[in-house]
Amino acid sequence: MKKICENWKQVIPEGTYGPQYWNEFSTRASAVSAEVFRVKTVAEARGVISELVKSASAKKAVMTQNPYAKAAELTDLFRSLDVEVYTEAPDIRTHCDTADFGISAVEFGIAETGSVCQDATAIEDRLVSTLPPVHIAFFNSNYILPSVQAAVEIISGVFDRGYLSFITGPSRTADIERVLTIGVHGPCRLVIIAVDEDVAGGAQ
Amino acid sequence: METSNRNIRQEIREKLDDEVLRGALGRFAEAYPISRAKAYENVEDFEALREQIKQTKLSTVANIEAVADRFEAEASKRGAKVFRAKDGDALKEYLIKLCEEKGVKRIVKSKSMATEEIHLNRDLEKAGLHVKETDLGEWIIALAGHKPSHMVMPAIHLNRQQVSEYFSKELDKEIPPDIPYMVQVARQTLRTEFLSADMGISGANFGVAETGAIGLFTNEGNGRLTTSLPRIHVVVIGYEKLIPTLKDAIPIMRTLPRNATAQLMTSYMTMISGPTSALVKKDGAWVEEEKELHIILFDNGRLKAAKDEKFKEIYQCVRCASCLNVCPVYTLVGGHVYGHIYAGGIGAILTAFLNSMGDFEKINELCIGCRRCTEVCPGKIQIPDLIEELRARAVKEHGLPFSVKMVFENVLANRKIFHSLLRIASIGQKPFQSGKVIRHLPLFLAGLAKERSLPTIADTPLRDRVAKLTKKMDNPVKRIAFFSGCSTDFVYPEVGESVYKVLQDLNMEVIFPEAQSCCGKPVLGMGDQETTKRMAKKNIEAFEAVNADVILAACPTCTETWHITYAELFKDDPEWSTRAGNLAKKMREFTSFVAEEYEKAGRLNATAGGTKITYHDSCHMKRALGIHAEPRQLLNAAEGYDLVEMKDCDKCCGMAGAFGVKHTDLSMPILKQKLTNIQDTGAEVVAVACPACMMQIHGGLDKLSPEIKVKHVAQIIAEKLKD
Repeated sequence: MKKICENWKQVIPEGTYGPQYWNEFSTRASAVSAEVFRVKTVAEARGVISELVKSASAKKAVMTQNPYAKAAELTDLFRSLDVEVYTEAPDIRTHCDTADFGISAVEFGIAETGSVCQDATAIEDRLVSTLPPVHIAFFNSNYILPSVQAAVEIISGVFDRGYLSFITGPSRTADIERVLTIGVHGPCRLVIIAVDEDVAGGAQ
Repeated sequence: METSNRNIRQEIREKLDDEVLRGALGRFAEAYPISRAKAYENVEDFEALREQIKQTKLSTVANIEAVADRFEAEASKRGAKVFRAKDGDALKEYLIKLCEEKGVKRIVKSKSMATEEIHLNRDLEKAGLHVKETDLGEWIIALAGHKPSHMVMPAIHLNRQQVSEYFSKELDKEIPPDIPYMVQVARQTLRTEFLSADMGISGANFGVAETGAIGLFTNEGNGRLTTSLPRIHVVVIGYEKLIPTLKDAIPIMRTLPRNATAQLMTSYMTMISGPTSALVKKDGAWVEEEKELHIILFDNGRLKAAKDEKFKEIYQCVRCASCLNVCPVYTLVGGHVYGHIYAGGIGAILTAFLNSMGDFEKINELCIGCRRCTEVCPGKIQIPDLIEELRARAVKEHGLPFSVKMVFENVLANRKIFHSLLRIASIGQKPFQSGKVIRHLPLFLAGLAKERSLPTIADTPLRDRVAKLTKKMDNPVKRIAFFSGCSTDFVYPEVGESVYKVLQDLNMEVIFPEAQSCCGKPVLGMGDQETTKRMAKKNIEAFEAVNADVILAACPTCTETWHITYAELFKDDPEWSTRAGNLAKKMREFTSFVAEEYEKAGRLNATAGGTKITYHDSCHMKRALGIHAEPRQLLNAAEGYDLVEMKDCDKCCGMAGAFGVKHTDLSMPILKQKLTNIQDTGAEVVAVACPACMMQIHGGLDKLSPEIKVKHVAQIIAEKLKD
């Protein structure tokens, strides 16, 4: 998959990020209706996914080919739970409109706003994170930047071509009577799974 | 010049009678400042952020061609096709041709004000194209056939019942007025549109010259779908959205969502640099290929504004619409009376440049100059000043209506005639007068006094009382020349008497230059710079002649006029500019001057007291002069009083110079809110430091709760002084 940056971890300078920003990140993300999970290992992440599948009675998922999916063997997990899963771009395009879940990885979190930063240059990344009613986003819990300022300073060093998004909670509107309503054109739920362990090949 | 035959007064009355609109805007006006403040709780320095935006935009607009060239070159290098459209016709021609060449039949649009500016959808549909707005609010108003009534919340004027009617009609089935249900209906209906569209058209919130990237803030996700699913993406971006570097977007990212919707960040903040891939169906299979990215750099009056010394300021606008959200007039009448698609004060200015001066002239009076917008604007745009400048230009070009011109040139500019007329008025009003206010007016003037009593002209103006007031001083510490202003001179001479008493008690000599007249602000407010200059010169001459240490006014508008306006008025006239500047240095406002002197004399200690008193901040006192602590210090130090704050103490009372009389329909609801806030404090006295506010609040209370007294701060401190 095409990326703005082949290895985001390498471009975030030591000392500018860290789990010390977790509490603020998690509070801000929850405040905008994101569902935030922090797990130690990918094995634990499988448990979270299983619960999500059961509670939502999910039948179909579209997923990018990302290191977390690989390390957690999510394709097998979905199949074992009787969930169809599609991971190739053309299949994702065919099924994204009818899938229950979209799964992808994102690069880092931003504590100030509770956002996650997504390198969405690959079309698959955008399809799985926008069309299904639930978007599940994985990232490494260490990679949290304190502020929008810090995030943009890093991005501006590598962003030459591509498509990048800050995703902050699920899709929302207040266009009728200023009543906040979640889930318009994008997902109704944003589930963030932050994994403590460094996933091999997890260089996003 | 385009002109229209709009009856603006009629339109305003209709909006004031629209209960759905009034309810929605009223609730919004209450909620917005609170939620905005909460959104800024983790921003350390808003002032620094907006200063950054201002400086970035100032340096960009000074080199707009170079920045645009860079943007075009970088975007092209990365594979985008850049087209510069000088106006709506050029943009439409390019787009329709593109659709023909590429076999485009279906178009989805995410929000773009620039395309609404030129009614793009109408012409695309005429060309046989299927076009859908996908932002929920935009889709609703498209179905309703309305113009947006707010730049961020275009359908704020409609309620759920009305929306359900439009949905039911469009979908040809009964849609119940349930908001979550209707949102899901929109999701399903428009999802089909996204999946089958050949082209997506989006706007842009910023364009980065160093990479040719564009940035988009959206909440619903329609922006991501519009820019991802169709094989062609067209961006329409105004020149004013360009910034040199990506880092320059940081203060925009930190202020725009907080100001626009009180969010720390919108659900999606997207940046796109160069074309990315799309999936295109070929022979029944989805094939990945690079999509086409077209960027239309849109002029339509923007480049002309860039070269205008004053109006280049509109480049600082990030379209957050916070200026509407705090505007006392917008929050009463909504966006439609502003005529075109841009509403509120900034809308009036944008309309003048991007649509027509004719439209501006219809709506320019809707800015009351209260400056609340200048406190929240992330681009630090001085909206009221720009409106005043536009008025002046309109008057220069088309002149004032004959009757107004006659009054200004022959009456206001001639002190003797003006003052004689005021004296005659004092006698003429007798049949209608009761105490200090006029309670009833004959026939056609009755509307003026419906919910507000008008002040009477005093029997004896201040100028005829000063001889008696003036005490002989042996060794005065300062020589003060008092500029009374018209209201104090002719309506509230007792305020002037109190000023004399307070200053003389400080062992200061007070003199009243006889030749002084109206400061000129009301005339300037109507755009007549030439008459104002004549009035200013007379006043400058009068005060030069007395050679005082301090020139003092007990009116914030007069103070501001002397302090700032005179110098600006004569900026192209070195002699008068110097003379005005020399006097401006001596100019002081009463409460801040006296608080300073009391402080020195150890007389500014807070005292306890039994009479509740509340203070109303005049717009100009607080936001033009920055004086709000000093009058409170004086009131706290005034014996026998207990200062209590009212809600929205610094919100306009609705007087705003001639506005309060000219647009009574608008002024009254603003006044009513103020009166309610005063009553809610339980105060027996409301203190003001501005004679115009005094007139408005006095008139309103006289009808509603005559037991509450209105006093100038000068009167309150003078009360306790021995004669």
